[in-house]
Amino acid sequence: MIHSEKKIPIERRIFSNAEYGRHNARRRRVTFIFLVAPALVWFLSFMLWPLLNMFYISTTSWDSLNVPKKFIFLDNFVRMFHDPKVAIGLHNTGIYLLAGILGVIPFAFMLGFFLSLRKPGYRVLRTIFFSPAMLSIAALAMIFLGVYRPDGMLNTFLNAIGLPGLTRVWLGNQATALGALIAIDIWGGIGFNSVLFFAALANLPEELYEAAMLDGAGYWTIMWKIAFPLMTDFIGLVTILQFLGILSGAAYQILLTGGGPGTATFTLGYYLYDQAFLSHRLGYSQALGVMVFIIGIVVIVLIRRTTSRFTA
Amino acid sequence: MFNRVLRVTSKIKKGSDLFVIGGYIFSIIYAVLIILPLYFVIVSAFKNNSQIILTPLALPTALNFSKFIQAQTNVHLLRAGLISAGITSGAEVLTLLLAFPAAYAVARIQTRLSTLVESIFSLGFLIPGLAILMPIYMMTAKAGLLYHPIALVILYPAFNLPLSMILLSGFMRKLPHELEESAVMDGGNVLQIIIYIFFPLCAPGILTVLVLEFIGIWNEYLFALILMDSDNRTIQLALALLRANQRTVDFGLIAAGVVISMIPVYVVFIFFQDKIMSGMLAGAVKE
Repeated sequence: MIHSEKKIPIERRIFSNAEYGRHNARRRRVTFIFLVAPALVWFLSFMLWPLLNMFYISTTSWDSLNVPKKFIFLDNFVRMFHDPKVAIGLHNTGIYLLAGILGVIPFAFMLGFFLSLRKPGYRVLRTIFFSPAMLSIAALAMIFLGVYRPDGMLNTFLNAIGLPGLTRVWLGNQATALGALIAIDIWGGIGFNSVLFFAALANLPEELYEAAMLDGAGYWTIMWKIAFPLMTDFIGLVTILQFLGILSGAAYQILLTGGGPGTATFTLGYYLYDQAFLSHRLGYSQALGVMVFIIGIVVIVLIRRTTSRFTA
Repeated sequence: MFNRVLRVTSKIKKGSDLFVIGGYIFSIIYAVLIILPLYFVIVSAFKNNSQIILTPLALPTALNFSKFIQAQTNVHLLRAGLISAGITSGAEVLTLLLAFPAAYAVARIQTRLSTLVESIFSLGFLIPGLAILMPIYMMTAKAGLLYHPIALVILYPAFNLPLSMILLSGFMRKLPHELEESAVMDGGNVLQIIIYIFFPLCAPGILTVLVLEFIGIWNEYLFALILMDSDNRTIQLALALLRANQRTVDFGLIAAGVVISMIPVYVVFIFFQDKIMSGMLAGAVKE
């Protein structure tokens, strides 16, 4: 094999894989590893290693960086089951997820379908719909602070249209604070996801619609009978992204409400942040992190299963 | 052909006019809902506080930049912007140095390892940032890089590698295979192929990666909050500080900060809108 190597044109030595056996495959593999290694090491060190650390710290009792940690195995997880704050966090996170997904995905799909018909003005609409996605979470929080505060835009508007009875201290009221935060996500989420749907629908062959139109189907029928079944996988995907974003979100609480008033906006993600950086119970915070991570994986699998059943 | 189109359109007309009208109504209402808060924050930056409360949607009576100057003196927005710009450029260069060769390997070298590598990177989409925040804080402290912008320059590429790899390798897969073959004939090695042939050819893909990463890093809040201090605050931390520093809300001041922090991202958005949308779609699909 080694002797015959010289007779093979040089380009084949590197790029063919058919007749070239083990020697060449090994060469390719060495080049491959040489090129991939830096990125892989980087990724493993700063993404996967911290993740493994999270699992490890979750089995310890550790109250400050200056104090040695004590191995307590699953005690943190046992404590979680009796912790009323976990129950509150789960409850609020559940509401957040439900409203944040149901309030976004159906509307985003319908708007995305409408955009994909490319009626006059769709480009302008697309740009407007996408623009909130360019805002940082801090900017969003600050903008909506101006909308929600007692003499903010929303209350001024309600007064102006003669509905002063509806005015609230939106972020300071137990009944409205969580809804006010969810509304920020819905406000921008519909637009961002509608553009994703638009782009995905634009990839469908046009003949699909034409055939249905020849049969006399209207857009409404086409949207639900043709576009929707073809999009179930993609809907699952978008739902997963939306889900993960909400599940591990805590920024609005950090910036605006501190989990309050009372426990109104106290979510699992915020509890994690609070335990890690405000209450300094590091071991317990990472146990909450493990729970968030596992909930995420389980729900992703469930969503994938559901959508693939639909497709099949 | 024309007849067919006519036949089709005449058939749709009946039920679907209603759908299109409904679509427009719905779209316009939503577009107004998006624009109102954005418009509100922009005009508020030029008004005094009583104007903001009494006439929130009126145009400012004069171009008054005092809130911008006040925001600058309060939290040093420009300095924060420069720090953010420095972190962003450092992280972008590092990301490309890491991701480009790796993407080439995954896209162009046939081995069974590439599927494995791709699935390792796609794990990145499943890891919630909030969950690894604490371990990363500890790693940074141990490395002695806490409160140092270098920490973010090192970390952000790791977060951006999965998407960058997907976009770059996706782009490279579409290039013809003859490229390498002729280069090898001329005696080029892999590094030369990557630097002299693929790097220039992949410019559009690289641009997408750079633009998306710029938006992500410029807007990042949580890791900057934990890892930086007041001497090294990024633009987002400075913005949040505008609010935290005041006992009663001076919304005009906050609005000025929001406007300044938004400008670079919206400028990029205006120029690279299509790249941003298609890049984000590719990221979502591949996840």
